Amino acid sequence: MKALLLTRTTLIWFLLVGATLVSWELGHGVGLDSAAAAGAAILLVTFVKVRFVVLDFMELRGAPNWMRAIAEGWIVLCCALLIGLFLVAR
Amino acid sequence: MDKLSQYLARDVAIAKALAYSGVALVVSLVIAQGFLMGFIPPPSPNLSAEELAQIFIDRKIGIRIGTMIECIGFTFWGTWAISIVVCMRRMERGIPVLSYASIANAGGAWVFFLLMPITWAMIAFRPESMDPKFIQIMNDYVWFIFILSWPPFALFMIFIATAIFRDHNVPTIYPRWVAFFNLWCAVLITPAALIEFVKTGPFAYDGLISFWFIYIVFFGWIVVMSMVTVKALNRVAARAAVTS
Amino acid sequence: MPGEEGVWLFIGGDLILFTLLFAVFLHMRAEQLTVFTEGRAQLNQTWGLINTLLMLTSSWCVATAIQAARRHQVQVTMRCFGGALACGLGFWTVKCFEYSEKLSAGLTITTNDFFMLYFTYTGIHLIHVTIGMGVLTALIFYARSGNFDAAKLRNLESGASFWHLVDLLWIVLFALLYLVGAP
Repeated sequence: MKALLLTRTTLIWFLLVGATLVSWELGHGVGLDSAAAAGAAILLVTFVKVRFVVLDFMELRGAPNWMRAIAEGWIVLCCALLIGLFLVAR
Repeated sequence: MDKLSQYLARDVAIAKALAYSGVALVVSLVIAQGFLMGFIPPPSPNLSAEELAQIFIDRKIGIRIGTMIECIGFTFWGTWAISIVVCMRRMERGIPVLSYASIANAGGAWVFFLLMPITWAMIAFRPESMDPKFIQIMNDYVWFIFILSWPPFALFMIFIATAIFRDHNVPTIYPRWVAFFNLWCAVLITPAALIEFVKTGPFAYDGLISFWFIYIVFFGWIVVMSMVTVKALNRVAARAAVTS
Repeated sequence: MPGEEGVWLFIGGDLILFTLLFAVFLHMRAEQLTVFTEGRAQLNQTWGLINTLLMLTSSWCVATAIQAARRHQVQVTMRCFGGALACGLGFWTVKCFEYSEKLSAGLTITTNDFFMLYFTYTGIHLIHVTIGMGVLTALIFYARSGNFDAAKLRNLESGASFWHLVDLLWIVLFALLYLVGAP
């Protein structure tokens, strides 16, 4: 039981909860002055979380290279697309 | 080759023709509904009744010819669906529950397909003398029939997926990814239910999701299933030739 | 490769749809900035936060269940899947409260474009949660007999990957709908 609790998975869970709280604060005007920077930062943190979920929970870290490349490529493209679309609105 | 496997080879040839009829359906859709009627994408649900009536008056000849072609093309839904059921029947042993359920389902769903061009043809029959409000209701009816009737089609996709998961043949008649592909399509056409609520935006019946995405997924599904069914039928024939 | 190929086809296909949905949201937001800023302010961020924590925890449960299965711990595997299922139920409950709060405040799918997207996107996601809970229930029964050989582990991984997808989609939806764009 202890061996199952003290795992990388648990560490990732703490990281994800921490990142959620950081983006929560950013969404409430803490940290960055401009709303544009805060929004972009929230989206960036979001896709860092997505990357952890994909690589560690979905276990793509140990998957074949081509599969991991597609996943990482999607994460980068989707993140860039959304931040771009978000900043256009300003 | 003995007599039985000669028979089977001919059956498989017919079944393959039925599988290809799905491709004919999609081609006739693009020609008739796209080029002749100009209804890909649909006229906006936000148009006034008069603007919509004018479209039917302007395009009435195209719509008459287009609906005629589409009536023929959409008939192939039934033939195409049966080519898949033929393969499903060979996956099931014991009681062929999924095959029977699929036959009933495909036969019922066929009515929705034919109602579309028939209703459009009726609007284009005398659009000048018809009340524009009435044309608007009938045109909405066509799109609602087409998009809101997603559940039986989603159910057929789930039946196919279930049959593939339960396939006792080694190797399976369809590759297993086909099952997941069908489940994916079944999930993806669910947003169709949202057209009831909105007249503009991505979930309106001319919108990016409710029209373009669902259209491409649904008709793409028909083409993909035609292709994999032809391959599956080839394997069925090859296997029968070996065992006989 | 964790799970089987077909599941990844499904996951990839779903991500295409949601990438489109995310982009549509930000595109429409750019066109009606005030409507979307006001709409966001009318959401209850706390419900969103609770649901995010529930989703993350459920994903942890599912990932741990897989690791327990690899060690042939039948009871732990079932309990972890059960924990994830409970989180899914919690997610549903919170969503019910949230929807009824919005509806009683007169905010519906027809109020404006922000709420149209809010209800449709969370609704489509909730369908995923429901399907995922069905998958988790199936996995609990499937795990009960033990004997975790390679084929069985692969099937468990397939189901687990789908649940992680549901988690992943909510992480992005939470940021887009609830957090981004505070004035």
